[in-house]
Amino acid sequence: MNELEDIKLKALLQNMKLENPGTGFTVQVMNKIFEENSVLEKIKSEKVLGKGFWIISILFIVLLAAIFFVNNAGVQTDSQIGQLLPEAGQGLSEGYQSFFSKLGTLPLSIAGITIAVSVLIFIDKFISSNSKIFA
Amino acid sequence: MEQKDDIYYIEKVKAGQTNYFSYIVERYQDIVFSIAMKVLKNREDAEEMAQESFIKAYKSLHTFKGNAKFSTWLYRITYNNCISEVRKRKMHFTSTDDVQIADEAEEMNLDGIPEENRAQAIKAAMDKLPEDEYTLILLYYFEEQSIEEISKVTKLSESNTKVKLYRARKKLYTILNELMKDELYTIL
Repeated sequence: MNELEDIKLKALLQNMKLENPGTGFTVQVMNKIFEENSVLEKIKSEKVLGKGFWIISILFIVLLAAIFFVNNAGVQTDSQIGQLLPEAGQGLSEGYQSFFSKLGTLPLSIAGITIAVSVLIFIDKFISSNSKIFA
Repeated sequence: MEQKDDIYYIEKVKAGQTNYFSYIVERYQDIVFSIAMKVLKNREDAEEMAQESFIKAYKSLHTFKGNAKFSTWLYRITYNNCISEVRKRKMHFTSTDDVQIADEAEEMNLDGIPEENRAQAIKAAMDKLPEDEYTLILLYYFEEQSIEEISKVTKLSESNTKVKLYRARKKLYTILNELMKDELYTIL
């Protein structure tokens, strides 16, 4: 293949009219880009941690605090209840005591699994709601 | 000059002036669309593919460092998009290896075709080329991309690109010769 052939072919090909996508193509592309931009802006402006997350977190902390309080101060509470309700509350306080003592003896592994599942659900929810960013 | 222009507009887009991307679309839409059209063989699909390629390029514009020509980078996105689409649809992507090349077609002979019809004849011959050869010829002769740049677009080695380009040229001449014979027959 000689150089002259190359030059001739180049000249011919450069005169060739290419297929074109039509007049509104640029506008269509730009509209799609602006659309994508506005969706991305919306996602970015949304709070990563929504109301639901904070409510669940607070409830979880309250529950943990309650368990901690009952476990550590259970004897005290028991004696206070005993003082306040010396006779009638005897059976009730025993019931409470056994319930909370059972709750306090929940194995750590169950708590661990619950926390891990919550975290995984949260990550999944976060990724699926921000799929445009991760795409 | 053209390269400097591209960089200028890209910098503007990167700085948040999205409107400037329309220059890029305007400049490259025909070639991107032509590649998509050749591979997908359907105008609507090709238009969608071309749009997708530009949007993909826009979204990953921050990764474009300017080490290569912008056009090379854009064509690579387009070419990869087309190949993925062909694989998705389980279509056949005709490659140079599938085509038998006539040994006699060593030279381009356009003497029998009037000058005003030559561009048309070339286009007809180009339309008959397989997808990968069409892209190679288009990038090398129409877009004046170097062998190195084409190898980046097609992910072929430089030596393989050279061989394929040589075969594509030969094939183009063969088709042109056949077209000319047909033309003569219709005249006679």
